[in-house]
Amino acid sequence: MKNKQIKIALKNCGKIDPERIKDYIAVDGYKALGSCLSEKMPGDVIDIIKSSGLRGRGGGGFPTGKKWEIASKFDADQKYVICNADEGDPGAFMDRSILEGDPHSVIEAMTICGYATGATEGYVYIRAEYPLAIKRLLIAIGQAKEVGLLGKNILNSGFDFEIGLKYGAGAFVCGEETALIASMEGKRGNPVNKPPYPVECGYKGKPSNVNNVETFANIPKIINKGASWFSSIGTEGSKGTKVFALAGKVKNVGLVEVPMGTTLRELIFDIGGGIVNGKKFKAAQTGGPSGGCLTEKHLDTRIDYESLKACGSMMGSGGMIVMDEDDCMVAIAEFYLGFTVEESCGKCVPCREGNYVLHEILKKITHGEGTLEDLDKLKNISEVVKATSLCGLGQTSPNPVLSTLSNFYDEYYDHVVNKKCAAKKCRSLLTYSIIEENCIGCLQCKRVCPADAISGELKEKHVIDPEACIKCGACVSKCKFNAIVVE
Amino acid sequence: MKKIESIDKLNALRTYLENEKAVSESKNVIVKVAMSTCSIATGSEQVMEYFQEQMKLEAIGSKIIKTGCMGLCHSEPTVEITVPGKEPVIFGKVDQKRVEIIIKDYIKLGKEVDGVIN
Amino acid sequence: MSCGEHNFREKLTEICREFNNDPNELISILHKAQGEFGFLPQKVQETIANIIKIPSSRIYGVVTFYSYFTMEPKGKYPISICTGTACYVKGAEKVLEAFEEKLNIKNGQTTSDGKFSMSSLRCVGACGLAPVVMVGDKIYGSVNADQVEKILSEYD
Repeated sequence: MKNKQIKIALKNCGKIDPERIKDYIAVDGYKALGSCLSEKMPGDVIDIIKSSGLRGRGGGGFPTGKKWEIASKFDADQKYVICNADEGDPGAFMDRSILEGDPHSVIEAMTICGYATGATEGYVYIRAEYPLAIKRLLIAIGQAKEVGLLGKNILNSGFDFEIGLKYGAGAFVCGEETALIASMEGKRGNPVNKPPYPVECGYKGKPSNVNNVETFANIPKIINKGASWFSSIGTEGSKGTKVFALAGKVKNVGLVEVPMGTTLRELIFDIGGGIVNGKKFKAAQTGGPSGGCLTEKHLDTRIDYESLKACGSMMGSGGMIVMDEDDCMVAIAEFYLGFTVEESCGKCVPCREGNYVLHEILKKITHGEGTLEDLDKLKNISEVVKATSLCGLGQTSPNPVLSTLSNFYDEYYDHVVNKKCAAKKCRSLLTYSIIEENCIGCLQCKRVCPADAISGELKEKHVIDPEACIKCGACVSKCKFNAIVVE
Repeated sequence: MKKIESIDKLNALRTYLENEKAVSESKNVIVKVAMSTCSIATGSEQVMEYFQEQMKLEAIGSKIIKTGCMGLCHSEPTVEITVPGKEPVIFGKVDQKRVEIIIKDYIKLGKEVDGVIN
Repeated sequence: MSCGEHNFREKLTEICREFNNDPNELISILHKAQGEFGFLPQKVQETIANIIKIPSSRIYGVVTFYSYFTMEPKGKYPISICTGTACYVKGAEKVLEAFEEKLNIKNGQTTSDGKFSMSSLRCVGACGLAPVVMVGDKIYGSVNADQVEKILSEYD
């Protein structure tokens, strides 16, 4: 079923040597740039991208051609092209793979964008955590300069374009355009109110067109093969393909590129090979900390920007974490909120305080101290944070809470009313006890218990004192007779 | 490499490189070793070195190329082998032992071997 | 810092000059300085402030904002445990606990002999190998709690 995949953004990844510009040129590399500079006016290039229907692959899904058009309309002595390679969404690694496997395609696309929008300088804002991608990108930039595909008077067309690197320093919020620009200027990555959008007033106050790595990787192929070829792939509102990083409890963990409109079932079961260890599929989380959980009932939904939003999730950058019956959805929501609390820049109150309170309530629930009232609070606060936060981070951060609440309400109910965690993840809600019939009194569990919570003599039935038990699980892994149950 | 001074020269270079590639592929066994962060972590550098060593030892005309990620994280290290006149085949979880089997059985004898990813 | 005061000011002057003493390049300067000294204590921050002529409070603000920068020295072998989502669902927490237990330190701390330090990071983008642990630049994939001792023994 791999043939469901169509590789556009990943076309050259795994096919060419990323450190040899000749390899790239041999597979139509820089052909698109050549044709733009020799046969097309900037407006023509924008028209092609607009009619291709390409939308931003970093999460938002804004039409790329329209963004370029807006950037091209502003009059300025200097404009910038910025490539957002701050792949902070945990569980997504397509940008890293593209930069490591095909850096020239991004350089070519940025140069085309510069030509179309009237910019002569470009920057790649890249995570410092990606040393190999940085290395390969620097090599590629050096080679492109050496052969005159970057720099002054490219291919004797009179067009100049330079690309530099700016390094991130580990802040998720810097994936947000305005925060990214603040960070490029050497400041804390605090976002600012929009408008004005960066495309009008961005880096150093100049019009700056920011696109994601995967978006750029599509550009040369669209120019080479035509807008109508690209728009023939995908769904009504979402054209082309999307790269997903399949990870978590799925058999074939990896990067896949499928046409928009592929169903979750095809992705996880046909391409992904299903769930590991024969377990049952429970949920797929898309959109990272901004997204939501899709469940069994969404398996046949055709994935595109709109349908994911309708399910309470979002496309995001394309991370897809698959979860099975052993994953507790309340704990997952707590995990994401913990992430948000750490990554919130602290500038606006709803995000800084609201997410903190959400996280505290979720902690309370997973520790067995939650009440039904807390579930209402979770919902209310989530809605306020979404409606009133300054930037995309806060506006989407309650999504993991809201989507798990609506799709897995029973699980929340179980935690707060019955004080049970069916997935056996929430330690405080578990009880350890010994099945008398199975226990032979071998003392193994007693010896390993760090809390001295197990009593009993040799060849006598052992007993666990629930008050003293710290629920570490050491006894279970030691017992050879399946005599210890966890509930 | 020299500066490419015009569109025509770029087009000419592409045609030349395409030809060169086709000729090389018609004569040589092409070995592509995925070399991304995750592949390297699972030992793809050693696999590539071993391929180089063994292909030389066996005197097989070959071109060994390091590439980016093939997207098959579950089976790293991955290697794509193209024997002239045949379709490319991707092998997963390649270690020294599998390199030897791939060379002896698949490349030299054309036999089917384990570890192919479809 | 092992080098004398004079030397380290000289080094920082050199780094800042490389970036034209431009405050816009502060993050690049800090990356370079941390690469040189291993961490960014108050003294380093004040010196940079002095050289590129901005308030040291702005530098402190930046250093504390970004998780990549640290004001504490790291161990000889810094251990980073990925706690991204893929690693989380595959049991990164248990691995983290195992390291804490074996090293007898908490996440974020350095062992008293300065040999190991521990930190968690959000996704190194090697989700295919989850859970992932890095010691220095070396990546270990599919790590479980039982392997922790063996990994540590490689650095004896």
